[in-house]
Parts: sequence; structure tokens; C-alpha cells
Amino acid sequence: MTVTPGQALWLELTPFYIREAWLLDERKFNEWLELFTDDVLYFMPRRKNVLRRESHREVTPLGDLALIEDDRRYLEMRVARLDTGMAWGEDPPSRTRHLIGNLEAEPMDNGEVKARTAFLVYRSHLETDHQLLAGGREDVLRRVGGAWKIARRTILLDANVLLDKNLSIFL
Amino acid sequence: MGATRTYAIIDPATGEVDRRIFSDQAVYDEEMEKIFARAWLMVGHESLVPQVNDFFHTYMGEDPVILTRDGQGRLHALLNMCRHRGNRVVRCDDGNATRFFCTYHGWSYANDGSLQHVPGTSEAYYDKLDRSKLGLVEARVDTYAGIVFATWAADAPSLEAYLGDARWYLDTLFNRRDCGMQALGPMKWLEPVNWKTMVDNCSDNYHVPTTHLSSARVQTRFLGRPPLSHKDQFESPHKHVFVNGHSLTFRESPDNTPRYVHGMSKETFALFQAYHDATLPEVERRLGPFRARHVQLGNHSIFPNGVLGFRLALPRGPLQTEFWHFVLVEKDAPETIKQVIRIGSQANNGVAGLFEQDDVDNWRQVTAASRSRVGRRLPQDMSMGIGHAGSHPDYPGIVSERYISENNQRHFYRRWEEFMNAESWADIPIAPIVARFEGTATIRG
Repeated sequence: MTVTPGQALWLELTPFYIREAWLLDERKFNEWLELFTDDVLYFMPRRKNVLRRESHREVTPLGDLALIEDDRRYLEMRVARLDTGMAWGEDPPSRTRHLIGNLEAEPMDNGEVKARTAFLVYRSHLETDHQLLAGGREDVLRRVGGAWKIARRTILLDANVLLDKNLSIFL
Repeated sequence: MGATRTYAIIDPATGEVDRRIFSDQAVYDEEMEKIFARAWLMVGHESLVPQVNDFFHTYMGEDPVILTRDGQGRLHALLNMCRHRGNRVVRCDDGNATRFFCTYHGWSYANDGSLQHVPGTSEAYYDKLDRSKLGLVEARVDTYAGIVFATWAADAPSLEAYLGDARWYLDTLFNRRDCGMQALGPMKWLEPVNWKTMVDNCSDNYHVPTTHLSSARVQTRFLGRPPLSHKDQFESPHKHVFVNGHSLTFRESPDNTPRYVHGMSKETFALFQAYHDATLPEVERRLGPFRARHVQLGNHSIFPNGVLGFRLALPRGPLQTEFWHFVLVEKDAPETIKQVIRIGSQANNGVAGLFEQDDVDNWRQVTAASRSRVGRRLPQDMSMGIGHAGSHPDYPGIVSERYISENNQRHFYRRWEEFMNAESWADIPIAPIVARFEGTATIRG
């Protein structure tokens, strides 16, 4: 049986995303950071309630206030903060389970790849706090030194008013 | 109305605060009536409804409200409740519409609130329905430097009197430029905290070197922020002032440096300094040289629930608060500065903010302790700096001797008592405006 280039890409990226999920759930955040390029944009826009005919306004554009609009430095600050031992919101840490699926990947002309996935992330914190976060991710992946890196991640949370007390975990 | 309870929840001599006000449903219900149905509340910003027929959906306490700009450009705050049965007539966060339509029976309203169309006025109502009396319920609206406030109380004083001398300080953040400000946002999330803890925390700089040490450390390491310590805070010349119901902190800044904002870094500081220098003549013209050069607003809250600048702490029962976090940028500021402020705001405050992540579990346990059968017998201790605040020759309001104090918090809970014990606005004291408002800036901007 021959494998098409599209299937080969899918087979290559599936373990990449599974590995990323395990790194997050096992709190290996410094290793997780290595999956991103130096020029990464880690972006989580807001989702608004608008009429169907105005659905182009549902996701807030870059330049508006986002939930997260991090460059690599801010991502590193988030991880370094956890390592200080004084990031009280995550110490004791959240227990997370990242379920990533529905991968679709498509090569672009410049050699980068557009990959989108869906996620269900369960977070349990302290005694009884818990939250299920659902959404999609649209990544731009680039090959750097033979390995895939995430050059841009757009996270679309399926929520308007977030029900969680804070967003102190990574998606 | 039944007999009014009399609240004596803070002892000014000891700073002891009765914890039950953070968790009791009956107290909460009375707050909705006596504070949120009475005070001037921040509801939005003019820049959220820039065009005629724009609307922005907001809240006054728990009540859903449509902020509209009608065809003539006038602002309205309309209760989002069809006068027939009570369905909402708007379910979007914002948009542009001349009419609002009830999806239950088809009543429709103009964006000034007037009832325009009722199906079957003749056939079903026999022409007996008086549409002129069935418009959307409208609140009084006024603006300060583009920030929109509304109140349900016909007997409330003017917004200008309500803000009073607090505006003397607020101007140094919200009223600096001729161009005015642009609001971005809001991001919205629910925290399991009583709304008052977030409000009183706005004057609490005591917690910063403990709660936020991890974030301050990484800001120092990655952005070049000066290190943060208790010693610096205790010795800080910054001020802590309570003015006419509102809790403010500010920096006395004779050194002509720009106001510190989250996101500023060693790379971008020069940009902020250049912008500060370039706009100083305009700010001096607008605010007078003293305020332009000496006063920089810090964390503050506008009574009852405006927090951390232009952010809303919307009560959702005694044990929950919905936060609406906005960012304001000066419209004519360079794009890089707007970007740094926008990113700095989301990365440090807001639901995913480095700083704010560490606040919520502290606050929620303050709320939870108020439910403890044993814990609630013991008051909160708010005794810090009692007897060390008073009038000041240069600054209006009650100024604490030190930046680190609980003077504002004590006064906030006394203000809360004044509202809760008042039968009407006639019983609520308003301090006269005594500050000298130098410069050309007005309450309108």
C-alpha cells in the first residue's frame, strides 16, 4: 500500500502533537518551549457573540485585546515564573490532561505547514476546582534543523465568558 | 419596603470588618438594591460605540444593559428586557442596529428605547396598548473623558459631583490628551470571589511583593523592571488617597519620567520617555503644570465596582464575580506604544496575566473564609495605619502618610455602610469639589 504525501505528513505530525500533549501534562515546560521558533506568536483571541451574518467579527483580530498575545519572551517568562517556586496560582500545580485530535495538515508554498487540531483539556486544581476547556488550534509549523517547530499558534477557545478562575495552564 | 437593616460592619477604631458581608445572600441582595441600583456605574466607553446606531452590551450589577448611540449620536443605557414578558432584545456582545427585536413575540424597539412595533395592536390588543409607556427602561447616562457611566437613581447627584475631587487624579491617566482614548476589549471571566475583595485590593500595594514576587522577578530578569521588595514599598514616596468614595493610589513624580505600565521594557522605555516628553506641553495645557509633572495615577477603584482603571467587577451572587478587563490607549499614541500597552496588559493582568494568576486563589479563600462557621466569627483585620492619614496641602482627599496603608480600604467599607444605611441619595454624603482643576481639560474630555 502506498502512502500519499498528505498521509505521510499526517503520520509525521501526529506523534509531534501527542508528544507535545505529554510534555504539557507531565509539566516539562522547558522542553515544551523547545517546540517553538524564536519568532513565535502564541495567540488566543477573544470569541464574541455576533449574528451569523456577521460571523467575520466573531474572532477578534490581531491588534485588538486578546486573551493571550505572547511572543517567545513572554512564553519564556511564563515558564520561568513557574520555576521560581513562588507562582502561587500554579503551586501546587494544576493536574491537566490534553486530548488533541482531528489533525488536518496542509503544506504551504514556502515549505511551512498549516496544521489544525482540536483539543479537550481537563484541568483539576487544589481540592475541587476543575474545568474542561475545549477549542481548536491553528498552527504554522516550520522545519528548523530537521525538527518541526511551531512558528505561530492561534488558539480558539470555545467560550465567551471563561468559566475558569484563571488561565494558568498552556494550550 | 420593609424595615431597613442598619449595617455597622467596620469598627473605625480597630479596623475590624465583619466577614459576613462577603458571603451572605441577604446582604448581597441588599447591595444590588442600595448600591448597584443607586450609584453611578461604569458601563462602557464612547469608543466602543463610535458610530451612530452602534451598540455595546454591558451590565449594571446583574442587570443586562444595552449601551446605544442613537441616530442623532446620543448615548442611551437601556435595560435589555422586553417590556412584554422580559425576554432580552439583544443577545450579541456588540453591533450596529437601528432596532432591537424581541424573539419571543416580535415586539421591536428603536435604539433610543422607544417601543416601535407590536404585532396585533388592533387584532389582539383592541388598540388598548399604550406603546408610549412601554419603552425599554432607560438609565441616566453621563460620560467622563469618554468613559460612560449610568445610574438607575433619578435622585443621584451629577456624575461630576459623584466623582468629585477623584477626577483631579483620574485626569492624569484618562484625560491627558486632546485625542482621547480608545478602549480595547473586554476579556471576560468568572472568579469565585466576592466583588468587594477585588475592589479593596486595588488600594492594596502591601500584597504586591508577596503575591506577585514570581512575576516581578521574571519581569526584572526578562524586561529590566526595577526589582520589587517590601522595603521599596514601605519607603516609597507614592501616595494612597481616599477621595469622595473612591480609592486611589498615585505616584508623586517630579523626575519627569513616564508613568510605569506593564509591558514597558529596557528596549521600549526610551519610546515611552520620548512620548512623555513630546506630549508634556499638551498635558500641561490640559491639566496644568502641577498635575502634568507631579501626579501619576496608580491602581485605583471607582466606587462601587470600577477596578484597575477601566475594568468592571460585575457581581454574580455573593460568591462569584465576572471580570471585564479592558485596555485603554491614547488614540494618537504611536502604534508601538499601543502594542506594548496592549500586550503588557493581557500578559500581566487579565485572566491569563502573570500577575493576576496569583491573585485569585488568595481572594477566593478570603471569600471562602467568610462562609466558615468558625472563621466568620472572627473579623478581618484592617488596622494598618489607623490614625496616620489626613488632609494634605497639595493633594485633595484623605491622604495616608505612607503608600502602604489600609486607610482606603477602611474608608471603602465605611462608604459601603453609607450606601447600605441610606434610605435615599439624600442620606449619602458627597464631598464638595475643592481641588483646583488647572488647565483646559473638562469632565467631557
